[in-house]
Amino acid sequence: MKNLRDDLHVLTGSYVLDAVSPDEREEFERHLQTCPACDAEVRGLRETAARLAMARAVAPPARMEREVLAATYQTRQLPPLSGDPLSVARERRRVQAAGVFAPRKSSWSRRVLAPGQASWTRRLAVAAAAASVAAAAVLGIAQVSTQHQLDTTRASGAAIARVVTAADAQVESAPSKAGGSVTVVTSAQLRESVVSATGMAALPAGRVYQVWVMAPDGAPFSARSVGLLQDTQLLAAAVHRGDRIGITVEPAGGTRQPTTTPVAVIPT
Amino acid sequence: MLTQVARGDHHAFELVYGELSGPVYGVVRQVLRDPAQSEEVAQEVLLEIWRTACRFDPARGSGAAWALTIAHRRAVDRIRTENASSRREQKAAPDLTDEQDVAEEVTTSLEYQRVRRCLDGLTELQRESIKLAYYKGYSYPEVATLLGVALGTVKTRIRDGMIRMRDCMGVTW
Ligand SMILES: [Zn+2]
Repeated sequence: MKNLRDDLHVLTGSYVLDAVSPDEREEFERHLQTCPACDAEVRGLRETAARLAMARAVAPPARMEREVLAATYQTRQLPPLSGDPLSVARERRRVQAAGVFAPRKSSWSRRVLAPGQASWTRRLAVAAAAASVAAAAVLGIAQVSTQHQLDTTRASGAAIARVVTAADAQVESAPSKAGGSVTVVTSAQLRESVVSATGMAALPAGRVYQVWVMAPDGAPFSARSVGLLQDTQLLAAAVHRGDRIGITVEPAGGTRQPTTTPVAVIPT
Repeated sequence: MLTQVARGDHHAFELVYGELSGPVYGVVRQVLRDPAQSEEVAQEVLLEIWRTACRFDPARGSGAAWALTIAHRRAVDRIRTENASSRREQKAAPDLTDEQDVAEEVTTSLEYQRVRRCLDGLTELQRESIKLAYYKGYSYPEVATLLGVALGTVKTRIRDGMIRMRDCMGVTW
């Protein structure tokens, strides 16, 4: 028994190398609370172990960065242990957000991008769009009733996610004349665009927002319908370089060609 | 930087990603070997860094050490739950020279050369104990079995070896 304390002291090395069992880890961490000598030694040895890790650094596959950054928009952070009031308020707001996964408003509203803007800004915008898409998919699933609809929603959710996480995804955002703004994420390689809108005015009964793909040179009347803009994002397929996305107000059910001036036109 | 990440700063996290994704992925892959599994665990670790950044206490060590502790522990937890049983059955002589499965991009790095020089300054038992534990994820009782030495000896050699590494690399904390 006289060796028990010595045994623990000598565990500093094995502890920082994670070479101890879960029980020993727990016991040793209790010991650290009361033994300043071991605590100090562990700090130095932990930095040393980190150098062993850094000596084996390997660049991860490039896709990992996109995936991780996009996932941060869907991952709630732990609240701080002690009270930084700003973070506490922010955390509370985040918890209150209906979709839980929804990005903070601030990351949404500042997203009017100029072409050629720094790539990190673009990637963040793409990631924010991805998070918003995820939130929409959750809301969409909550709204549908039959299994068939559920499958359809999920399938388009996956297709949408593929566009917003594409390596070449480009984000364009513009204010709408009906209030709020419209965001279009386009992958030229996939030839697909994801259209989403926030803050647009509610329409009177019998009217809907309809989304179109418009040819580059185009009069709005040579447009192809993508669908009706409801609560969720829309996926536009076969989008060509230079095409624009337009939104018009149409009678319920939509029309074959736009009958009003677009409230928003966004380049792809 | 991690303090900003803790406040939900995505740009700060992107910079942290740039700094740490290589070491995180590298150490996870060193332990797990399988690239697909390593990628999955490394992703979990990086998200964990995002999620728990507010638990990082700059007074207690560097951000890199905090993050790489999470990474190594995750990798070791994974390998212990997955192949613990199969690995314990085959207590055959381990491959003590792991240099051949270190990628060339690793061996040309300054940090690799520095660590290697310091490892070379250890006794063979210290060096092999540390490498088996840290780079292969063995527990100290497993290391003792693999090297055919007593438990107490391994614990002492690991600690002495790590202290010598710390001093050799001029780590101050
Ligand atoms: Zn102690």
